[in-house]
Amino acid sequence: MASPVAPYLEISQAIEEAGGEALRKCYQCGTCTGTCPWSSITEFNIRKLIRQGQFGFDGIEEFMWYCSTCNFCVSRCPRGVEIIDVVRAVRRVYSEGGLLPESLRVFVGSLSSRGNPWSGDPDKRNEWYNGEYPHFSEDTEYLYFTCCTVCYDPRNVRVARATAEILDRAGISWGLLGTDVNCCGESAGKVGDTALFERLKNNNEEIFKSNKVKKIIVNSPHCYYTFKKEYSGKYEVIHITELLADLIRDGKIVPKKDLSETKITYHDPCYLGRHSGIYDAPRDILRSIPGVELVEMEKSREQSMCCGGGGGGLWTERSKGERLSDLRMEEALGTGATVLATACPYCISMLEDSVKTMNADEKIKVKDITELILDSLE
Amino acid sequence: MSRIGVFVCHCGSNIAKTVRVDDVAEFARDLPDVVMAESYKFMCSTPGQELIQEKIKECNLDRVIVAACSPLMHEKTFRKVLENAGLNQYLLTIVNIREQCSWVIEDMDKATAKAKALVNGAVHRARLLDSLASRFVDVNSEVMIVGGGIAGIQAALELASTGKKVYLVERSPTIGGHMAQFDKTFPTLDCSACILTPKMDAVLQNPNIELMTSCEVTEVKGFVGNFDVTVKQKARYVDHDKCNGCLTCVEKCPAGKGLSEFDEGLGSRKAIYIPFPQSVPQKPVIDRETCIYFKKGKCRLCEKVCEQDAIDFEQEDTYHDVKVGAIIVATGYSLMDTKPLVQYGYGKYPGVYHSLEVERLFNSTGPTEGKVVMRNGEEPGSIAILHCIGSRDINYHEYCSRVCCMYALKFAHLFKEKTSADVYQLYIDMRCFGKGYEEFYNRVLAENVKFVRGKAARVTDVTGSPEEEGKLIVEVEDTLSSQFMRLPVDMVVLAPAMEPRADAVDVARIFNIGVDKDRFFREKHPKLDPLSTTTDGVFLAGTCQGPKDIPDTVAQAIGAAAEALTIVGKKQLELEAATVYVDPYVCCGCQNCVRVCTYSAPSFDIEKKVSVINEVLCKGCGLCAASCPTGAIIARHFTNDQFIGEMEGLMEF
Amino acid sequence: MEFEPKILGIACNWCTYTGADLAGTTRIQYPHNVRVARVMCSSRINPAFIFRAFQLGADGVLVGGCEPGDCHYSTGNYYARRRLAITRKILEFAGLEPERFRVEWISASDGIKFAEVVKEFTEEIRALGPQTKFKVKKDIET
Repeated sequence: MASPVAPYLEISQAIEEAGGEALRKCYQCGTCTGTCPWSSITEFNIRKLIRQGQFGFDGIEEFMWYCSTCNFCVSRCPRGVEIIDVVRAVRRVYSEGGLLPESLRVFVGSLSSRGNPWSGDPDKRNEWYNGEYPHFSEDTEYLYFTCCTVCYDPRNVRVARATAEILDRAGISWGLLGTDVNCCGESAGKVGDTALFERLKNNNEEIFKSNKVKKIIVNSPHCYYTFKKEYSGKYEVIHITELLADLIRDGKIVPKKDLSETKITYHDPCYLGRHSGIYDAPRDILRSIPGVELVEMEKSREQSMCCGGGGGGLWTERSKGERLSDLRMEEALGTGATVLATACPYCISMLEDSVKTMNADEKIKVKDITELILDSLE
Repeated sequence: MSRIGVFVCHCGSNIAKTVRVDDVAEFARDLPDVVMAESYKFMCSTPGQELIQEKIKECNLDRVIVAACSPLMHEKTFRKVLENAGLNQYLLTIVNIREQCSWVIEDMDKATAKAKALVNGAVHRARLLDSLASRFVDVNSEVMIVGGGIAGIQAALELASTGKKVYLVERSPTIGGHMAQFDKTFPTLDCSACILTPKMDAVLQNPNIELMTSCEVTEVKGFVGNFDVTVKQKARYVDHDKCNGCLTCVEKCPAGKGLSEFDEGLGSRKAIYIPFPQSVPQKPVIDRETCIYFKKGKCRLCEKVCEQDAIDFEQEDTYHDVKVGAIIVATGYSLMDTKPLVQYGYGKYPGVYHSLEVERLFNSTGPTEGKVVMRNGEEPGSIAILHCIGSRDINYHEYCSRVCCMYALKFAHLFKEKTSADVYQLYIDMRCFGKGYEEFYNRVLAENVKFVRGKAARVTDVTGSPEEEGKLIVEVEDTLSSQFMRLPVDMVVLAPAMEPRADAVDVARIFNIGVDKDRFFREKHPKLDPLSTTTDGVFLAGTCQGPKDIPDTVAQAIGAAAEALTIVGKKQLELEAATVYVDPYVCCGCQNCVRVCTYSAPSFDIEKKVSVINEVLCKGCGLCAASCPTGAIIARHFTNDQFIGEMEGLMEF
Repeated sequence: MEFEPKILGIACNWCTYTGADLAGTTRIQYPHNVRVARVMCSSRINPAFIFRAFQLGADGVLVGGCEPGDCHYSTGNYYARRRLAITRKILEFAGLEPERFRVEWISASDGIKFAEVVKEFTEEIRALGPQTKFKVKKDIET
């Protein structure tokens, strides 16, 4: 039985103080919900969440963990509301109040105690490389920073190995740091644990400073965004696709092996595309491989569909019918492509999962750009 | 020795709330040469003005300082007060202690300290001011109106009816503007052509209006009362003096593939054409881009069938000098191009239309003769009208375009009248502010138009179920029910933002007027002076100043005509006296001033070997004064001494 | 007691002065330290004014004119730009911190920019401290 409620403005104030002042600008037009990829498969309603935040209404805790911070709503919002900041602020208020959901506690705990979200042994961070790769020193030009996911996740380790091989063959000055670095901290910040994020960030920045790091190459667009926009900004951050595109253009890397009419479609990761504006470099790379026919999905570039892995989604179990990566896989299959290329370890994890649960192993393979390039160099 | 009077205004609480006005008056009283200083609630009011006049007489003042709002606001007002009290108006100094003091500083001490410093500056300057003689100049009684839409037409008719000669300059081959493209107008549903064409005809028949179509203004020289305008008559390749409007050439022309601009590209026209059947003048022009003769050197059929021998392929652009006393700029608007908003699919899906295209579909003289038939030849069974495409959007235009809610309702009504389609309106707010507007909204609701409260997020042709097959799907959240919807429709109508014309900034430069942050022409004051610009004698009317509907446009047009009359209704105008002059004893004959002046006001007297200023041309900017190496040029009212004196006062405390 | 700079502002009537008024009508708050003198055009400014301002004890001088292309008198601001650039060089040559003299192009619809510039400039001058290089202790005779 419904009864009238009064606004509980203390909650709105708490959200604003946690970084969500953008709440005020929203005029509830609904463009965000209309744009959000979750709207068609779940009950998640981002506009409603902001409304609940504006007045401190009940129900905000029910759906606030769905948002994968893909930035589609932000890019379309006519008032310029920084919606992701509001979501982070709401999550911060609740997680600081001890209300982090079960599914996310494991990875947050792991970040806190081991410096990576995969419960991996921190001393074994560099065990992925079975070759002799240079160690980073003051005179090294590029630091190759390995995302925790490419260090510890069995599928994504292949990405790290491919990247290292390519960097070696490109003849540039690069190196790796020791095992005292930790996760960039992005996921901690996105689920509202600001204190943990700060701790992880400070540790990394100390190490970068003492090693006089100037340029950082990353595989993960999440690391890319975080180092560029949320760290101190004292270094140049380069995504591996930007570097590869330049190397190919300058002839330092020459893709040789003809893939004989292979149809490849490219999935724009949210943090590389919408968040960072890099759409062309990966496509230039794919087009440089002989025998590749690049086909675009309808939801490509700025309109790319999120795989669901951001904002804590990578560690959250969703029931069938509520998975964005399944929808994305369907779209990829619809193009007739036999390879789904991408440039983000989170996307790879999510999409590989979907390949399995949809039994599409025979029809399509998920590959990172680095894996495709390494293949073509043989 | 001067006798200075200082008047400090409270401006109600606008100034007095943060500036201690009595302290400022007291401070002023103690300054040398100040014989009286007082504060008053509203200096610009009648008792306030009378106070100044009283004190001038009582205390025998020979300089007056008014510390109040910005001089841009009331300098003219207070100058008249001095004149009426028998004191030369240029002995007035205004101190801005409101816009640049009380309104921008919260701390009372700081605001009061600044006010005192500014008053001190004014006192130092006032001591050095001189009386200046008012200058009068003859006024040209003719007016030029730039833009032949409803605003230009209405203004022309108003002025012509007072006996003034009007030049109506229009860039396209016909007058009528966007209003001629509309089918019906809200909320009365008057047929647009029915109310417009009589006015267009009246313009044609009026002996006081000289209609100049296919013409553009390329240069404006001179000043208020005496503008010298260069108008380019674009080559029409048809001699309108010989043409009798029989239109046989149009009928016979074999090049029929040109896209009709009037029909927004939905219909075609010939290479020789009149834009629409009721065009004024009813004389055709030739479009070089689609004419077979111009492209391939063959044909010339129009020339052969023309009994008046009016076709002239050798015609060239010509330039004409027109002298007028006032100018009204009424150049209208453009509809925003919605192709860049890829989420709505305009240009990609043939079923997506913008509002002007829909007007042409409804109109009986349009490409479908008034039937609602889409590009695929079919009548739509369901239509979605999307509001705020590019308006109220920080990514495109932050402003609201004002007319779209109403024309969207109009479209809904007409769709219901002409088809049996389901009609959806996707809106954020319904803005129905005018007379009869809210009532019209009620009427449309009663016609079973479905209103979805939410801004459309996407239009796609990727369907998800058999019911959606062959349709366009509009994705939107109805925020009132918190329901995410997929609306399957045949036709999507976009309401794009109303924008200034693409070349608005260039046009503004020609007339020496400003543009605001959205590139609409800038009015002097949005509330109190919405039709004037910073250039005296140039006025605005219609949508070139900002989005508005027809009633407001017509009201502005009539207002602009009245404004123009304040200039051309007089025989003589008083001009700003603050010009420059050359002291011939100090001039060294270097001619720097002659070189730098844009208005050619200085000239070199070969016999006396010094420069001389033509005060009628001088605008008083002071560039030559600062460029003169010997300091021979004195800038009246802004002399070196006066400026340095002001600085001394400003920096003293 | 915090040092409160005394800054002379010179604003052209058609653009900067109007923009400053707009900042006022929109009630944007900014520091009280800039005292504005009006000229019809930035091209009226004689470099001697600037030198004299510093002699009179100004800690900073801020000049505002129309944006390139928008001068009410069409080309005035171009002359002003060059003249004031040389003035700045002369000030620097004479030993004054060039940061104490700033020229900005502020349009009539940019009240926000006016307030931002005033805020920024005031803080810069505050950090530089009182101007002593040119300040003359006695009265100047004009």
